[in-house]
Amino acid sequence: MDTITIDKDLALVYMGTRGRDASVLMPLVDECEKRLLEAVSPNYILKVFGIERTEAGIALSGTGLLLTGESIASHLEGCDECALLCATLSLGADRLISSLAAEDMAASYVTDCLASAAIESVCDEAEKELAEKLPGKFLTWRYSPGYGDLPLSLQPEIINVMNAGKRIGLSVTDSLMLIPSKSVTAVIGISRTSLPKAVKGCIGCIMYENCSFRKGGYHCGS
Amino acid sequence: MDLKTLLCEREFIFLDGAMGTMLFDKGLKMGEIPELKNIESPEWIIDIHKQYIAAGSDIIYANTFGANSYKLSRSGKTVSEVVRAAIKNARIAAEGSDTLVALDIGPIGQLLEPAGTLSFEKAYDIYKEIIEAGCDADLIVFETMTDLHELKAAVLAAKENSDLPIITTMTFEENKRTFTGCSVSAMAYTIGGLGVDAIGVNCSLGPKELMPIVEEMARDTSLPIVLKPNAGLPDSVTGEYGIDAPGFAELMTELIPLGVKFVGGCCGTSPDFIRELKKAYSGRKYQKTVPALEPVCCTPANTVRISCPRVIGERINPTGKKRFKEALLNNDIDYILTQAIEQQHAGADILDVNVGLPGIDEKEMMVRVVKALQEITDLPLQLDSTDPEVIEAGLRIYNGKAIVNSVNGEEKSLQNVLPLVKKYGAGVVGLCLDENGIPKTAEARFAIAEKIVKRAEALGIDRRNVFIDCLTLTASAEQEGVMQTLEALERVVKELGCRTVLGVSNISFGLPSREIVNSHFLTMALTKGLTLPIINPNIDAMMQSVRAYKLLANHDKGSVDFIAHYGNTEALAAKPAEKAASDDLPYAIFNGLKGEGARITRDLLGKKDAMEIIDTMLIPALDKTGSDFEAGRIFLPQLIQSAGVAQACFEVIKEHLAASGKTSESKGKIVLATVKGDVHDIGKNIVKVLLENYGYDVIDLGKDVDCQLVVDTAIREQVKLVGLSALMTTTLPSMEKTITLLHEQYPGCKVVVGGAVLTPDYAESIGADFYARDAKESCDIAKRVFSGE
Repeated sequence: MDTITIDKDLALVYMGTRGRDASVLMPLVDECEKRLLEAVSPNYILKVFGIERTEAGIALSGTGLLLTGESIASHLEGCDECALLCATLSLGADRLISSLAAEDMAASYVTDCLASAAIESVCDEAEKELAEKLPGKFLTWRYSPGYGDLPLSLQPEIINVMNAGKRIGLSVTDSLMLIPSKSVTAVIGISRTSLPKAVKGCIGCIMYENCSFRKGGYHCGS
Repeated sequence: MDLKTLLCEREFIFLDGAMGTMLFDKGLKMGEIPELKNIESPEWIIDIHKQYIAAGSDIIYANTFGANSYKLSRSGKTVSEVVRAAIKNARIAAEGSDTLVALDIGPIGQLLEPAGTLSFEKAYDIYKEIIEAGCDADLIVFETMTDLHELKAAVLAAKENSDLPIITTMTFEENKRTFTGCSVSAMAYTIGGLGVDAIGVNCSLGPKELMPIVEEMARDTSLPIVLKPNAGLPDSVTGEYGIDAPGFAELMTELIPLGVKFVGGCCGTSPDFIRELKKAYSGRKYQKTVPALEPVCCTPANTVRISCPRVIGERINPTGKKRFKEALLNNDIDYILTQAIEQQHAGADILDVNVGLPGIDEKEMMVRVVKALQEITDLPLQLDSTDPEVIEAGLRIYNGKAIVNSVNGEEKSLQNVLPLVKKYGAGVVGLCLDENGIPKTAEARFAIAEKIVKRAEALGIDRRNVFIDCLTLTASAEQEGVMQTLEALERVVKELGCRTVLGVSNISFGLPSREIVNSHFLTMALTKGLTLPIINPNIDAMMQSVRAYKLLANHDKGSVDFIAHYGNTEALAAKPAEKAASDDLPYAIFNGLKGEGARITRDLLGKKDAMEIIDTMLIPALDKTGSDFEAGRIFLPQLIQSAGVAQACFEVIKEHLAASGKTSESKGKIVLATVKGDVHDIGKNIVKVLLENYGYDVIDLGKDVDCQLVVDTAIREQVKLVGLSALMTTTLPSMEKTITLLHEQYPGCKVVVGGAVLTPDYAESIGADFYARDAKESCDIAKRVFSGE
């Protein structure tokens, strides 16, 4: 990817500003944004798979991957294909955040929030490309392991199927954390017919209790 | 046939092409473990190898790329079974030909610390297991590597457990960096220095895109170069590769002038590609490149070329520094890190690291400090110790090419230190002294320098990696010796062609206005050819000398660096105005003015008692920012900024107390850790900053912390409160386990937990005593615990 634009308003929401006037933070935010953009090389990969609904879950053709749980089944309703997305901001973000932690914790925190917003931009870009490559088709929003009852334990399998370690340097720890930490894996449903407007609710989200959006009266759009 | 003969007899050595691409054609499913096919379908593997041999491969890579204990963990097969089967398949295929079989080893698939959770030692063990299982191969190949540290572990495992030749390739992206940020030069110097037989690049890009990367590599290595590109670039959605076999071969010939010796293909290539490659290369000659290699030291992201003066920062050293000694005794790594950052900002190019102090385990401390420094700075390190064991431990864990400080002309030193320098491919400082001490004359010092260089070269250490220190004596005591040092230095530069080091500050010991003497001596030495001054870069006069010299000596082309530092530039970020000469400490704290805060504190210490400053100024100011935060008047970044200022003030007070032989009063000790399996530690770090500012001593165990280590530390330090953080649902079980162990083995100790996925109910259900919603609340809880409320 060449360049990304960070949604700074989103980053401010992550910082807990909750719609209040945060102009006092902007000099720091702008400085951190500049350093972050210099430090990262964002990247993503996408691949489209046919899907087959089985008793055990949704099977992705040509792979041994099985998407289990009710929430993904309902997410992919009406779809005959799906795309897997792996996106990362790169280790540059992690390195910058941890080196800043030793010199200026506030900058480290602000950069962390900016990086969380930045990876969303990377995913948006990926989604845009997917839509362009599939004219006339309809896409669902991005659904990630850990949402609803789609198990986090799919992370290593998705990374493996996508060869994401080799292609974009994405890996996962035994405790199922993605590394680089500002990374996303997601399933995007693809349909030939227009999809019912998705209910993007918070109930069922694993972050429900602690989500800084929800606390601030927002939602993340997922 | 062996690799050595091949290298001598052939113009080029042809490798094979993709294994994975061929296996998918045979029916391998995406996500399946390709290496299991060695056992399940050996005929597939043998057939693929045979096709490559028929196409002209001199070396085939056995199907062992991912045959490591991590990737095979749920396969039901052992590394030994899979690797042995793979080598056997390759041998069967190669029967009747001269084809060599390579044990092919890729990345483990998990990232090493500090970004990931895999330790360097564990990575070493994983590679060792593969290497031992693959001992029947003709050579070892490490490929598709992206992490320099992991590759170093791999190469050490090979060197220490096998005699087979080694070739290594890393995978670079179009920005000429690997995914982990490793540069081409860092790979060339670090891995080349470990004594491998060839280095190069594979995967990620096509031959055309790899050209600038190979060009760069050719400038920084004299080893044969390996090139195994993909069949062009894959489409981001379909995954199809862009170029065909003849096109690939044609492009590959364009890289011959860059010194490629080993050629083959990676993803998307097939036997046709190798056939075409061989055709295109026939009649062509290998063009060995002879680059003028410079002395360098490096970290993965930063190669410091010692072709002009480079500043070595001297501050990470306890000698004569009470506050530093106190930090070492208290395991206060953060203090050491602030010394690094300060010097980096002041302009140091390299950092000397000396952590020797009676009463501490220097070896363990060296490893800890090297790891911690490399997590926060890209500056290369100079490992400074008189104990070869400490040096070796530091060299082993260091990520990049380090400098050893030091060897001298003493027989014992030469015998103990130089082999380590050779083994780990480091640079070394050679001190001009021996059994008889420091010689008085330039002549005698030069003779020792000559001896050190000779001995280094006898071990295969090139003299460009030996940096001679002609030793600065104190002008007040041995005034006539000053010019002897400079004379020796000049001769070393001219006659031995070595780079030189000099600890500068010693010159003025015992004199008034030391800066004047130091900076002038520095300039004198620079004009004689000094390349590596060891100085305190925080002193402006010293950096001024260096920068002015670099300008005048035409190193700083166009005076760019000089103007950047001393031209009138406006401050970039708009910050609240610094009140001129104010002594308003609360104002500095509320507005995040770190430098001001420290300065005011320093001034105040002349007038007031340290405790009075803390109790009447610092704590009330912090309390106010805390309540402003709770009331929503300020945001979290501002709260942290204020805490940062207070931290700087406390640091000034600590230094003041240490200098007068007192220690600061602690409100109590708290152990903090991000639990096992969890590597996201920003929340814990924020809590730490705040707690420290309320006067607590925080023992920060870091992230991914073993459950029992938390308990052991809590018991050893007799703490009343332990803080645990977890970000993921998957790491909550480690949090619960840590709490259980704590309550079992150390009853009475309170536990406070926090983190994104926690709730008060959940915290209670896993046995935590407190749940903290945010960092501010952690401080309130600590206050309650320690006041016994």
